[in-house]
Amino acid sequence: MRFSEILNLVRINLIQNKFKVLLTSIGIIVGAATIVCVIAIGKGGQADVADQFRNLNAGALDISYEQSEGSSGFSFGGSLPSFSGGSMPSFDGGSVPSFGGSGSSFSATASKESGSSDGSSRRSSRSGGSGMPSFDGGFDLGSMFGGSGEVKNREKITLSTEDMEDITASVPGLSEATITYTTKQNIYGGNIEETESYTIAGTLSDYAGLSNLSLLFGDYLSDTDNENKTKVCVLGYSAAKNIFGSAEEAYDSIVYIDDRPYTVGGVLAEQGSVEAGISADEAIFIPYATGIKYLTGSDISPTITVIAEDVDNIGAVAENVRSVLAASYPNAEFTISDAGSKMEAANKSNRTLTLMLIAMASIVFIIGGIGIMNVLFVSVKERTQEIGILKAIGGSRRDILLEFILEACSISLIGGIIGVAMSFGVSPLITSFSIRMEMSVTGALLALGFSLVTGTVFGFYPAWKASRLVPVEALASE
Amino acid sequence: MTDQIISMHNVCKSYKMGTEKLNVLKGIDFSVDRGEFTAILGPSGSGKSTLMNIIGCMDTLDSGSYSLNGIQIDETKERDLVKIRNHEIGFIFQNYHLIPTYNVMQNIIMPLLMRGEDRKTAERDCREVVDMLGLSDRLKHKPSELSGGQRQRVAIARALCSKPSLLLADEPTGALDQQSGTEVLRLFTKLHEMGNTIVMITHDMNVAKWAERTVNIVDGQMYQ
Ligand SMILES: Nc1ncnc2c1ncn2[C@@H]1O[C@H](COP(=O)(O)OP(=O)(O)OP(=O)(O)O)[C@@H](O)[C@H]1O
Ligand SMILES: [Mg+2]
Repeated sequence: MRFSEILNLVRINLIQNKFKVLLTSIGIIVGAATIVCVIAIGKGGQADVADQFRNLNAGALDISYEQSEGSSGFSFGGSLPSFSGGSMPSFDGGSVPSFGGSGSSFSATASKESGSSDGSSRRSSRSGGSGMPSFDGGFDLGSMFGGSGEVKNREKITLSTEDMEDITASVPGLSEATITYTTKQNIYGGNIEETESYTIAGTLSDYAGLSNLSLLFGDYLSDTDNENKTKVCVLGYSAAKNIFGSAEEAYDSIVYIDDRPYTVGGVLAEQGSVEAGISADEAIFIPYATGIKYLTGSDISPTITVIAEDVDNIGAVAENVRSVLAASYPNAEFTISDAGSKMEAANKSNRTLTLMLIAMASIVFIIGGIGIMNVLFVSVKERTQEIGILKAIGGSRRDILLEFILEACSISLIGGIIGVAMSFGVSPLITSFSIRMEMSVTGALLALGFSLVTGTVFGFYPAWKASRLVPVEALASE
Repeated sequence: MTDQIISMHNVCKSYKMGTEKLNVLKGIDFSVDRGEFTAILGPSGSGKSTLMNIIGCMDTLDSGSYSLNGIQIDETKERDLVKIRNHEIGFIFQNYHLIPTYNVMQNIIMPLLMRGEDRKTAERDCREVVDMLGLSDRLKHKPSELSGGQRQRVAIARALCSKPSLLLADEPTGALDQQSGTEVLRLFTKLHEMGNTIVMITHDMNVAKWAERTVNIVDGQMYQ
């Protein structure tokens, strides 16, 4: 029998039994709808994670330092004010001891000495001091509290570009590194009448590239801006809109930060909310050195961000960074968070959820399949005489097998199509529970594929049974 | 030797009923020439349907030999028997055995579809038979919408359209009233005159009279 004619018979049978077909395929309908939604939710979750970590590089490591409570009044209380207004004292302070840690020939003491001399040779005369007292303080504290090692982070440590350079020089497998800090400052300008508090981020020129920021207008801050401590800024998209009404108007305007005028050299494109790091939309970016000179002095807690060349190697890189810093600041515990593993964790929990949902959908499919099998068995029983007639007038096993399998496939495919259509109908409902869904053709195709497979697998046995019926007996059955 | 369509020698068939063996056909010798209209007459339970299933290649025989239109059926596998049933035999059953889901035309062309024809060709090939049986205005109807006589005509049309070498009818009038029964038998006579070979099974002497030749079967044995 021709395949097309078998198909036609299947079509006639299905049309004659519309209601039965619908009932049979309910399991498949639910299964297919579930699969599509599950995949959409999974993809939505992934997209969410991707969005939230958009500003982060998978290989990025954020290194920061948090001073413990109560330590500030100890040995740093005095030292702190003296740095304010000084230019980048932390640069030298950081770089000095870290030479020792880098595994080079400097010993710890030598590094201290070289630190002070190194520091004084640089721009800031206070820079050496910034390193020294903090070290002494740290050592003193350590011994005072019994050196048990449980007292950490009492000292004031300000990570610096020197630390960053130190890390990049000593830790292999890094592709990029940058350093940032944030501060809250009152600003005005544009449409703002009263001053408003904004997050100001001191960054280097490579920050934009590292954080995947793109610009709507102008350029990002340059190295020259940093070297000259130029009063220039780049506005986040929302900041630009709030202050000037639009990104276009903001560009090349003046915004006053702490009463000093900054030219808006660029406006960022909208980034959306992010899970970690600086929320770029609301921030104002200024050159790293400019901020220290005019806004913060040394009173900053910068974050060094390094990018591991090989994401898989990130654990080793973190360890190396830790040991480099430990040599510089023996009593300090640095916070090293790696964006990749955060992302990975988020993705993993997402995947777990997706897998669970897929398992659920599979169960629904199996139940749907068993439903189909039941109905087909009943159908084979009901139609035993018909099978007998077909055999008597020359229907081969193949014809009968094919007819029943194709019937099962069609029922499940129809179920699949209805299910997929339903999932598209239901998705706004799910989305309204603020669950993000990314409906996809892949999901729909997969659901249809699953439906077909279920129909074929569960339809095969009844069909095979039917094809094996002995003609006389089938014919004699009532 | 004349041109024999059916040639059976010493055919035996038994059914196992638990431990007992029930001999239904006990050495049947039976032959039918091409163009003959033969009636097999016998009481209920004599083995008529069993014999008909064997003639129709739907059941196997235990011993003996059977050749149909020159094909040695007792040595043929089920796979090939399917083709033989399709090409050589047109079945007409007591209960019509039409497929309820399909309309008249679809039922009639089924044997032609089975042998690989497409719908268009099959419908064209059946046109003549359909007209002859007066079914032209009933083609889109379902079997359930027809009278018994009409249903049997559909079954006859289905049997005829494949142009078989043998028409095999088991109690073709069994479910019909006198008048429709007579119509069917008239039709058989006409088909016989047109050159068809017909074997008709019945327990009714009056039905058997319509045939050219009658053989009797009693308790699994045949009396010419
Ligand atoms: N599949 C079977 N299994 C066991 N016994 C069977 C089977 N088919 C038929 N028989 C037995 O074989 C004998 C002959 O049956 P068959 O159907 O051939 O009779 P019949 O002549 O056609 O009768 P009727 O005129 O009532 O149709 C009966 O005794 C019946 O019980
Ligand atoms: Mg019978």
